[in-house]
Amino acid sequence: MTLRNLMKATLILSLSMMLITVIALGGMMSFTAITFFQDRSATTSTKDISDTLQKTNGQYHLENPALLNDSNRWAILINNNGEVIWQYHAPSSLPTHFNLTDVASFTRWYLSDYPVTTWIRADGLLVLGAPPGSQWKQQLVLSTQSLSLLPFWLLGCILFMLIAVLSTSALLLHHWFRKDQKERDAARSDWINGISHDIRTPLSLVMGKASRLEADPRLPEDAKKEAAIICNQSKTIRDLVGDLNLTMRLDCAMQPLRREPLQPEMIVRQAAADFLNSGMADGYPFDIHLPDMPLPTMNADATLLTRALTNLLYNCVRHNPPGCAIELSARIQATHCLFVVESNSPSHPQQISDGIAPDGNAAHGTGLKLVKQIAQAHGGDAYFTTGECFRCEIALPINGSLL
Amino acid sequence: MAYTILVVDDEPALCDMVSDILKSDGYKVCRAYDCTNAIAVFQDAHPDAVLLDVMLPDGDGFSLFRQLRTIRDVPVVFLSARDEDNVRLQGLGLGADDYITKPFLPQELLLRLHAVLRRVYRLEEQSHLGDVTILWAKATIIKNNKEIALTAKEFALLKKLWDNRGNIVTIDALCAALWDGPLVGYENALMVHVRRLREKIEQDPSHPQHLLTVRGLGYRLNEEAST
Repeated sequence: MTLRNLMKATLILSLSMMLITVIALGGMMSFTAITFFQDRSATTSTKDISDTLQKTNGQYHLENPALLNDSNRWAILINNNGEVIWQYHAPSSLPTHFNLTDVASFTRWYLSDYPVTTWIRADGLLVLGAPPGSQWKQQLVLSTQSLSLLPFWLLGCILFMLIAVLSTSALLLHHWFRKDQKERDAARSDWINGISHDIRTPLSLVMGKASRLEADPRLPEDAKKEAAIICNQSKTIRDLVGDLNLTMRLDCAMQPLRREPLQPEMIVRQAAADFLNSGMADGYPFDIHLPDMPLPTMNADATLLTRALTNLLYNCVRHNPPGCAIELSARIQATHCLFVVESNSPSHPQQISDGIAPDGNAAHGTGLKLVKQIAQAHGGDAYFTTGECFRCEIALPINGSLL
Repeated sequence: MAYTILVVDDEPALCDMVSDILKSDGYKVCRAYDCTNAIAVFQDAHPDAVLLDVMLPDGDGFSLFRQLRTIRDVPVVFLSARDEDNVRLQGLGLGADDYITKPFLPQELLLRLHAVLRRVYRLEEQSHLGDVTILWAKATIIKNNKEIALTAKEFALLKKLWDNRGNIVTIDALCAALWDGPLVGYENALMVHVRRLREKIEQDPSHPQHLLTVRGLGYRLNEEAST
């Protein structure tokens, strides 16, 4: 999964989650509105019932009792002295007289556990009661100051929800991405390891046989030369397989860096010694330059850094004719320690540039790419320039690698 | 004395090639293609060293290594196509004498096997550096019919250079061989030991013929005098 796909998936998931949230919010608001209107209708019905309660010849008469019967409700009318002067299907447990405290209590809460609604009339207070547990009553008191802050609270809540939705979706996708990436990396690693293993054994045979033919005194010189070519090309394949393996491991973060405190000069000297001892430097003027003052101690993987430098030195030999001057140096530049490999062959084009993209990055092949990967694994980078001379700078941050 | 080497590899063609390389260098060779066969051959042939592949059809080389070591303590060199650091370190961590990654050059195989045998069986009681004889067991040299003792540091320095003779050994590697801990600041001390060693092994220490300085890098020990 590429970064673009990851971002696309994050966006889609975020929008989906936001849509779900909006639907949920809409549902809640609809529910609230319906309930509100139901309550309003309940209030209206109290008024309606009050309107249907008429006093005729000193007797109260309910014109439409179905309004109460349908919802299993009862009603009482309390006069201004607190006396119950009329009732319809009222529970027998209700008192017949109410004082101010009782009235204040049940208008807000419940009357003997019965949820009640009231309507003020000229002759008193009409109280309608519903069965216990059929309604929920809650008092909401807000100061006008708090009410004025309500839009901000709502906005804050929406923002919080938005951030929560985005973060959750990003985390979920990152988790899936990492899992997916790990599985693919493991599969790639297994595959490369398998290929590498399968190549190495037959390559041992090719190298071994070619090397023995090269050293066989009974063979004519031409045949020996052919054997030497096979042997040298086999070594190139061997190095490529090794580089491919390492570059894959670095790519999949499966190559643990064995960092240790070391002197940059040590890396330069070891790479130079390996280069000279390999015999590849024969015919190539080679020199190293190190500053008089010791370079600061770094915390780096000596094997990998040495390999990066020897890779560059071998590349200089592989891509340039004998006589090409090769130079290896190290120095401090601002916050970085620079390792520089430079080859100069004015009479020949620098074929090594084949592996370098116009922006100075390693374009293909594993050699230069590996150098860049090793530098990046240390928190630095590698820069390549070509022209009359090939130059590679490996810049490693001093602060990041200092102990 | 011809040493007997047991070669264990599941690839018959490679086994044959390694056998030929070893035979051409004077070794006796016995072969096995799997763990079961390897144990049987090991018990019958009593090899002096084992070249062991890591991946075998009926088990892994590490388990076989442990089994062989319970039977007899002989030098073992892993010869494997697996080059991962952890696998290599696992093999060496078990106590193997070396770990060679495939593909390899015949000469490299012989040199490394010879180094292991030399170390384990002390093949070389003495070595020759031009007209100078080095007596390793006594940590002395004989120059102009006179036996001269080497100090511990001079001996360690000469040993490191001799083990890598013909190759440049960096001053960092020499310092690491002579001293533990941080190496910064030991360069001057190293130069002193090199100078004293030259006085003992060179006919003319001012114009060394064997222990040569490689400017800016380190030193190289040549068996034969430089021309």
